[in-house]
Amino acid sequence: MSQSALQPNRLAQGGQIDRTHALTFTFNGRSYTGHPGDTLASALLANGVDLVNRSFKYSRPRGIVAAGAEEPNAVVQLGATEATQVPNVRATQQALYDGLVACSTNGWPDAQRDIMRWVGKLGSPFMPPGFYYKTFMAPASMWMTYEKYIRKTAGLGRSPTQPDPDIYDHMHRHCDLLVVGAGPAGLSAALAAARAGARVILADEQEAMGGSLLDTRETLDDQPAAQWLKTTLAALVEHDNVTLLPRTTAHGYHDHHFVTLHERRTEHLGDSAPSQAGHRQSRSRLHRVRAGQVILATGAHERPLVYANNDVPGNLLAGAVSTYIRRYGVVPGQKLVLSTSNDHAYRAALDWQEAGREVAAIVDARTAPEGDLVAQAKAAGIRVITGSAVIEAKGAQRVSAARVAAIDVDAFTVTGKVETLECDTIASSGGYSPVIHLASHTGARPVWSDDIIGFVPTTVAGVTATGGAHGVYPLGEVLADGVEAGVNAATALGFAATVNDADLPRVAPRHEGPACALFQVPHEKATLRAPKQFVDLQNDVTAGAIEVATLEGFESIEHVKRYTAMGFGTDQGKLGNINGMAVAARCLGQSIPETGTTVFRPNYTPVTFGAVVGRHCRELFDPERYTPMQAWHVAQGAEFEDVGQWKRPWYYPQKRRTSEGEGLETMAEAVARECRAVREGVGILDASTLGKIDIQGADAREFLGRIYTNKWQKLAPGRVRYGLMCGDDGMVMDDGTTSCLAENHFLMTTTTGNAAPVLEWLELWHQTEWPELEVYFNSVTDHWATMTVTGPEARKLLTELTDIDLDREAFKFMDWREGHVAGVPARVFRISFTGELAFEINVQAHYAMHVWEALFAHGDKYNLTPYGTETMHVLRAEKGFIIVGQDTDGSVTPEDLGMYWAIGYDKPFPWVGKRALTRSDTRREGRKHLVGLKPKDASVVLEEGAPIVFDPKHAIPMPMAGHVTSSYYSPTLESGFALAVVKGGHQRLGESVYLPMADGRVHEAEIVGTQFVDPKGERQHV
Amino acid sequence: MSNSVHVYDARADHATVNAQSPLAYSFQRSGMPAPGEEGRAVVGERAFLGHLILRGGAIVLDEALREVLGIGLPGRPNSLTVDADGQRSVQWLSPDEWLLIVPGDETFGLETRLRAHLGGSHVAIVDVSAGQTLIELTGEAAHGVLMKSTVYDVDPHAFTVGKGVTTIFAKTSVILRRPDESRWELIVRRSFADYVYRWLLDAGEEYGIGVARESRHESQ
Repeated sequence: MSQSALQPNRLAQGGQIDRTHALTFTFNGRSYTGHPGDTLASALLANGVDLVNRSFKYSRPRGIVAAGAEEPNAVVQLGATEATQVPNVRATQQALYDGLVACSTNGWPDAQRDIMRWVGKLGSPFMPPGFYYKTFMAPASMWMTYEKYIRKTAGLGRSPTQPDPDIYDHMHRHCDLLVVGAGPAGLSAALAAARAGARVILADEQEAMGGSLLDTRETLDDQPAAQWLKTTLAALVEHDNVTLLPRTTAHGYHDHHFVTLHERRTEHLGDSAPSQAGHRQSRSRLHRVRAGQVILATGAHERPLVYANNDVPGNLLAGAVSTYIRRYGVVPGQKLVLSTSNDHAYRAALDWQEAGREVAAIVDARTAPEGDLVAQAKAAGIRVITGSAVIEAKGAQRVSAARVAAIDVDAFTVTGKVETLECDTIASSGGYSPVIHLASHTGARPVWSDDIIGFVPTTVAGVTATGGAHGVYPLGEVLADGVEAGVNAATALGFAATVNDADLPRVAPRHEGPACALFQVPHEKATLRAPKQFVDLQNDVTAGAIEVATLEGFESIEHVKRYTAMGFGTDQGKLGNINGMAVAARCLGQSIPETGTTVFRPNYTPVTFGAVVGRHCRELFDPERYTPMQAWHVAQGAEFEDVGQWKRPWYYPQKRRTSEGEGLETMAEAVARECRAVREGVGILDASTLGKIDIQGADAREFLGRIYTNKWQKLAPGRVRYGLMCGDDGMVMDDGTTSCLAENHFLMTTTTGNAAPVLEWLELWHQTEWPELEVYFNSVTDHWATMTVTGPEARKLLTELTDIDLDREAFKFMDWREGHVAGVPARVFRISFTGELAFEINVQAHYAMHVWEALFAHGDKYNLTPYGTETMHVLRAEKGFIIVGQDTDGSVTPEDLGMYWAIGYDKPFPWVGKRALTRSDTRREGRKHLVGLKPKDASVVLEEGAPIVFDPKHAIPMPMAGHVTSSYYSPTLESGFALAVVKGGHQRLGESVYLPMADGRVHEAEIVGTQFVDPKGERQHV
Repeated sequence: MSNSVHVYDARADHATVNAQSPLAYSFQRSGMPAPGEEGRAVVGERAFLGHLILRGGAIVLDEALREVLGIGLPGRPNSLTVDADGQRSVQWLSPDEWLLIVPGDETFGLETRLRAHLGGSHVAIVDVSAGQTLIELTGEAAHGVLMKSTVYDVDPHAFTVGKGVTTIFAKTSVILRRPDESRWELIVRRSFADYVYRWLLDAGEEYGIGVARESRHESQ
């Protein structure tokens, strides 16, 4: 079969495609071929595929309109497999690759036979603007039902249901100058700045750099523009201070010249990223660029004209027609009518005719067009109809004719007889809108320019728009403008740079006549009665809908937008917003600048979630902090608990030893076993995660006295003390032991989660309030590994491994000693968080595993049992030891905890939080106090967080008296027990409280002291 | 001074005690891929070095260091000085904070001599040798690996030799420095080292990253 039969609209020559290679692809289940260099859109057009989607609301057939990011219709679902599904891909920006599989996103069950057609044909009167608000507001409960079907019919694409096989990553970049857009302006700017020595990043969203040079008819230095493009790109590559990023969209400008770029690295290669030299590579990459200066050379988007049935497939932008012909060698039809308001669009007709197809007419809204392109068209024998416009397209699945009539632009009326011109393609151009999106992201409002009939950007300092992006269109001026922007940026950055006109290529002068401001084309019928004139093709917003919105009282363009949903699609109204504003302005009888503009927000085009997330997912989602004994814990089959970013062993399930069956212990069984081991034998806990702060300085002791609630003046070297720390609001914020290592040297411990906040807290008070105190704080959390050996047999075990005298008189409770454990220099602290005899061994973390394993080597005969955080919690709760953040919640004072013994009321310097304890609120009666709760039914383990009431018979809502903060089953007590905060609890010992549960049961518990086991504290002193 | 601060040699005899570096577990768990033939990106751990944090006034510390170690404090923020054989370095961390890195067996002797020299000055010296480790990154793609990991500008023109900063690395922080033309050094907290290692292997995969053979992570 011949080439043309396969691809009926493909030209035999021309364009930047490789005809020697054929690529096979599938669209909506049918197989087609295209060539390297094609986009999916150009390949579809080459194959004569007119219908690419159904419209969002009315389900009307839609075809390809544009050739770039502004495409509203050809939004496809990509992916050959379930795992590689990508929604929201613009066919105009998707490079063709062999094996590409795509389908329409809209159209259920498919775009050809759409069951929603009836809505479009018959139902449109029932879907007026504000349809969703009006129809589905009530009953609210039905919304979920409606939504299910609306979503299905709306078809905004779908996410894959299988995990993405690809990876995505981020790259942080810094440069002097970021140039966005590699058309003539961007290339000139980048080269000028690079020559001056600036570090330049040049990003361009297209498959090839060059922008308008890729399809221009103009010459540079009397050569085709492609030649200058090639030379310039080569020159940029030569500069090692230039980074070129093709296929990279700058999608968001954030503060301080921080711009995010989305680079599609392998999306032109296949469904999923191929491996490169055996290594994975990311499918797309988010560049996070911090630039000194930013140049926006983003060009302009052509505006379509708004006429009746302007959405029928075969209606295209004039510029897109030229792009398809000149860049891809594709003529998207047989017979063209061009409707224009300006000279520039004439090139579409010239290109069309040169491609060997017929131009029925150029219909120009101006009465006396007079530019060089007009002359060329006339010389080429093309019929030019002036003072007229295409007022309506005919045809259903494809344009069959254009209805053309003379119009009065200012009076918005059709003034002449309608002529019907047979054609299959209508190209239209209503002028050009600078691509001001990124400039808008800076927060600077664009301003209307009558000169260019469009909004031009204003920008913040350091951001410059150049070329088409600020309304400069003639090629020669664009190039000069780019050079000037590049030189200015370089100069602002401190580089020596000057404009050298000799560097500019020669551009043949071309006269263009003035354009006229035409947006919506009048029809013989009034807008509300005429066939639909689409403003926003993606969201199916018509000129009539905007008129209705203004009639219903919406005057602000922001309200009109929201009421009609104009610009709310994934294309953000790139084609339609200005036309919509013009329609609103006409209806409101005011000018466009009076009507206002809309603000564009990031992202310019959709960015995949993968690129946003980068590598911060799965096993790299968040740091996992390990202690030096992690390998041992894993080998022992520990279950882990996340404490902050730390992985802490939660419990160590063992193989069951009893007749209860095979398999591993349950958590309750493991915890009961671990608890008994500590109370009856000896257990060991990896406590390395505790925060440790080394404090040195002559005023260290004084500082401790000010930051802790209790007294530190008399703590001697060799001794350890428990300390309680309050915020300046008097509420408990942390606790831990602090050891006096030497007269001016202390080691503070903090809770695991508070290590960093406490260090900051110390630094804050030192640096801002008491800089005169001579003291330094340093984190040594990771330097020292800590293992707690605890239980009645702890001394016997440790004696076997240490040279420290562990005699109960020589080494008392709350002492620390220096010596060796298992041959490793160690500090051993006799402190206890279990209530049992306990030694906390600190060694440099390098040796922790050595010591840990040595302890186990000797521990077998004592049944040395590793225990995790759950057992630690049970054991400490049995002793009434609080956990800050569990038994306290930022509203609990040391007095509420009953810890009067840890409050130095008479210390000479008022410690942090002291004054807050004299506030009326902290002094009042009836504050919640920490107490113990003993359920009347010993088998009950109260729920943590369960509300407590005094009178269970009280009508609902019952007055709340407090809640349970910690609750466990105690194997030692053979009973459930809990800690709780209860109003006036310290005065209510012995009274009953009630806990009404969600299931209707009401538990009764007795208020008791917080120490359930060994209340006299004798066991830790043995 | 000697009585007011508790200083003792907490370093064990590596001949008799099995010491494990912060990356020992990571090497075992995540493996040590061999670097690609071109060695575009190579990581390695320089384990068991002595890391001392110095706090105090620049003038007294500089004087003491010159006397005891032969190199002074770096003259500017975010920079480091390295001695002639590259084995000892001092890096600015904050206006009153420096990181001193020396061969591991010199740590205690150095601290003792510094303290003796500093007498009663208001300073603090803290041994953090086991609390962090030094990861070396070399190869032409090292720069790319770092760009994927840190927000800091690591362009060799901007991050010149002798520079050192504390900065964000993926979702943790590292001390990042460039002691010479060919090497980047990352100093990472021990508990975060595994995360950093896994991140580096992942970020460097496209460059064929591997682990230097001489990485020593266990003493026995």
